[in-house]
Amino acid sequence: MVNVTLTLNGEKTACTVLPDEKLLDTLRRLGRTDVKKGCGEGTCGSCSVLLNGRLVASCIVFTAAADGGEILTAAGLGTADNPHPIQSSFVKAGAVQCGFCTPGMVLAAKALLDVVPEPDVQQIKLALDGNLCRCTGYVKIIDAVQSAARTLAGKDEVPHA
Amino acid sequence: MSDTSRLNVIGRPLPRVDALEKVDGKARYVDDYRIEGLVHCAMTLSPHPHAEVLSIRTDEALAVPGVLGVFTAPDVPVNQIGCVFQDQPLLAAERVRFVGDRVALVVAKTRDIARKAAALVKVDYRPLPSVHDAEEALKDVAPKLHAQGNLLAHQKIRFGDAAACLAACDVVVEHEFEVNYQEHAYLEPQGALAVPEAGGGVTIAGSMQCPFYVQSGVARALGLDRNRVRVEQAVTGGGFGGKEEYPSEVAALAALAALATGRPAKLVFSRAEDFQISTKRHRMRMRYKVGADREGKLQAIYVTQFVDSGGYAGLSTVVAERANTTAAGPYFFPNAHVDTFIVYTNNLLGGAFRGFGNPQVTFAIEGMMERLAARLGMDPVELRRKNLLSEGMPLICGQALPPSAPSRDVLDTLAQRSDFDRLRAEALEFNRTHRFRRKGVGLALSMYGCCLHAGGQHLEGSGALVQVRADGSVEVNIGGTELGQGAFTVVAQIAAETLGADYARVRVLPTDTRMVADSGPTVASRTTIMSGNAVRAASLQIRSRLVELAASMLGCPSREVEVGNGAYRQVPVDPPALRPEVSASAPSPVTIDHPSSTISQANVRFPDLCMEAFRRKLHLAASGWYAPPPKPWDKDTGQGIAYSVYCFTGNVAVVEVDLIGGLVKVEKVFAVHDVGQVLNPVTLEGQVHGGIVQGMGWALSENLVLDKGRCLNPGFTDYLIPSSLDMPQMDATFVEEPYPDGPFGAKGIGEPSLISVPTAVALAAGDACGQLPDRLPVTPETVLRWTAKDGNGQ
Ligand code: FES
Ligand code: FES
Repeated sequence: MVNVTLTLNGEKTACTVLPDEKLLDTLRRLGRTDVKKGCGEGTCGSCSVLLNGRLVASCIVFTAAADGGEILTAAGLGTADNPHPIQSSFVKAGAVQCGFCTPGMVLAAKALLDVVPEPDVQQIKLALDGNLCRCTGYVKIIDAVQSAARTLAGKDEVPHA
Repeated sequence: MSDTSRLNVIGRPLPRVDALEKVDGKARYVDDYRIEGLVHCAMTLSPHPHAEVLSIRTDEALAVPGVLGVFTAPDVPVNQIGCVFQDQPLLAAERVRFVGDRVALVVAKTRDIARKAAALVKVDYRPLPSVHDAEEALKDVAPKLHAQGNLLAHQKIRFGDAAACLAACDVVVEHEFEVNYQEHAYLEPQGALAVPEAGGGVTIAGSMQCPFYVQSGVARALGLDRNRVRVEQAVTGGGFGGKEEYPSEVAALAALAALATGRPAKLVFSRAEDFQISTKRHRMRMRYKVGADREGKLQAIYVTQFVDSGGYAGLSTVVAERANTTAAGPYFFPNAHVDTFIVYTNNLLGGAFRGFGNPQVTFAIEGMMERLAARLGMDPVELRRKNLLSEGMPLICGQALPPSAPSRDVLDTLAQRSDFDRLRAEALEFNRTHRFRRKGVGLALSMYGCCLHAGGQHLEGSGALVQVRADGSVEVNIGGTELGQGAFTVVAQIAAETLGADYARVRVLPTDTRMVADSGPTVASRTTIMSGNAVRAASLQIRSRLVELAASMLGCPSREVEVGNGAYRQVPVDPPALRPEVSASAPSPVTIDHPSSTISQANVRFPDLCMEAFRRKLHLAASGWYAPPPKPWDKDTGQGIAYSVYCFTGNVAVVEVDLIGGLVKVEKVFAVHDVGQVLNPVTLEGQVHGGIVQGMGWALSENLVLDKGRCLNPGFTDYLIPSSLDMPQMDATFVEEPYPDGPFGAKGIGEPSLISVPTAVALAAGDACGQLPDRLPVTPETVLRWTAKDGNGQ
């Protein structure tokens, strides 16, 4: 067993994990069920989180390797009462259908916009390539990322959910 | 209700009712339920496509610390399950019939322990010869899977005399088509939670489309009355048909574990399990013969097709009925002969998948139209136009095409919107100037019978419960489910519009068998129509009570009360001489609007009206029920009223093919849909976009590979569903011709969104290479074979 300390959505959390335990399993065990498991093989992106600001598939990251790390999940990005502009844009653009990919998608969008505040469509497509969505055909997700970019750049009023 | 100009909520791009809870990850999918004392299940699966089970030893598995129980066939109270035919064991006893047939269920404290122990269940098999092709399975020498033999069913259409007519036709074209499986690849895997209830019985929560199927399936397998099985749909991460019949099996396993251990039990599939053992779009082989006169008037169609059901029946006969009935696509044939054979094999289970047998036959009939056009030297679009069905014309099942059938509008809109002729000219020009790349354009049409086929009409009734609270907020329960398609949003709009309530204050609750009578399945693009009509019926009852009340408050006859924009107002039938009186008994909630130039208006805001209704003890709850008229059907001839209404669709796809690597890139897809009436343009477009991308996946990259019934690519690494980089530019257009029996004139969209896409994409890929495809998917290997044959694509 390994003792690990994580900063989870700003909250310091200590836990004991198996050496080969995956971050996704740890997070879900800790009640962070906003991180979804679509495949467990690093191929769908529904378990995406930001680890020290970088987008990772938490199902293929060892928790032990994330020791000391800062983790952001969708619930840490914003809540229904106080959504992050990316989340509001997803609601407004109709980018959410079944919603299973959504927590991962909004984080993939965040990871992109943190680095490229005004991405073009091709950059958005590239950034979302690791996050599969079976429902939306991606159109409205891309719209949502563009509109979130505008909002974050102050070029648009904050969209209302 | 075709005039939507006076509507406030219907037709508007309102945000989904369930989007906010999904963007922050709070929405609870089945694996997110946390519950005291929860135990986990895992399955031991057959590695053989066909084998006798000689013995099962569970001692080693049972000895693993943390294991609570290992269950096998004798533990299942009624070990014969199945949605239509009960030909399947929940846990196999003597024989396994496909790779993945379940032989044991392990229950343990953690999922990991359960999985490890499941691998320790020792099963002694005697492998039997297996059969992996539907036509082979019908031969005498083939191993028999079931006592009745391998022919599960034979469905027919007999309309006119196709054989005699073909013998006399000017032109006859004949071809064979074959399509592979498609995996639904919903992002959330199958899963169910079962909680044992005091006094016997069980409560199920799970990822599903059809809670009432789950209720009856679980009750049957466990030998319980249905009123002992409560089913609540958890938030469901996509279904596409894959969560129609299959979740009954998942839930029955969880329920077995829960009742046997007395603990809440959960079963969630791994992705690989989901690929191997849940249902797929059916693999089909279709032999078509079509005859026409020299002018291109279609005369006869003769079809023999084989549907690979896999080891058990599931819904295969129901899926096949759609392939059988709509085998001729959207075209008029005065003579038709269709034989559809549904066959057991030792392959994966075929089942419901968006389009339900229709995408397969669309690929075949559209391929025939292309071939016939080539033979006649006619433009293929012209040939289609010439033979398109329109209202009142007979389908091959003998039914006159009912109203709301703007087939011609769909084709014309598609041709215009896509600028089809220019697209073709551009592709030709591109191909003249490029050596290793080619562009191609494909067009396909389809016709889809909305709601259930006559054969399933006993399931067609659907209910809703609408309750208005004193503060003007509204609760809606429907028998249909939300899978991501937007059903809850659309029924909230229907309730808000009908009641005059605030859309943002309508709440649609998770579908629960306790709240609504058995409403049949959420399938067949029927939920908008069925649940929508039921919600409308319930809302209308409440509305008429509120209209009476408003009339008494406003002091006017109830016929003068108009509902809309969050209020009930008096609109005098004749221009009034006097301003309306305000009822003396009403407390404060009446406001008098400033009169417009000609008409005085008084109104009561909806929340105030509800509060007053509550004080006066009015009943502000109602259940609604909708069932369409009966549809007579003769299954020996396939003649009768097959479906209540039809949806027409057209797609145009533009692709670019890389001749070196064989890759096909879809650049653009146009979609034109006849939807009756648009209820919410955003959710509607969302369905179309999703259908396009999923259809395109089946056309090109989603190639499920089986080796003697074992899936060789059970995951997203090798089974390639389209990613954001693959998506084409998409253009969706809607043709509105209201369906008289639909809520506000609406029809369905879920399945039509996909049906003709694979064909349009495949035809475009073929067009780029100068070929007519007859296999799906069109893989890079196919393209390379085409180009090699063709001397580098020339
Ligand atoms: S669950 Fe981690 S990538 Fe799919
Ligand atoms: S919304 Fe369903 S997978 Fe993306």
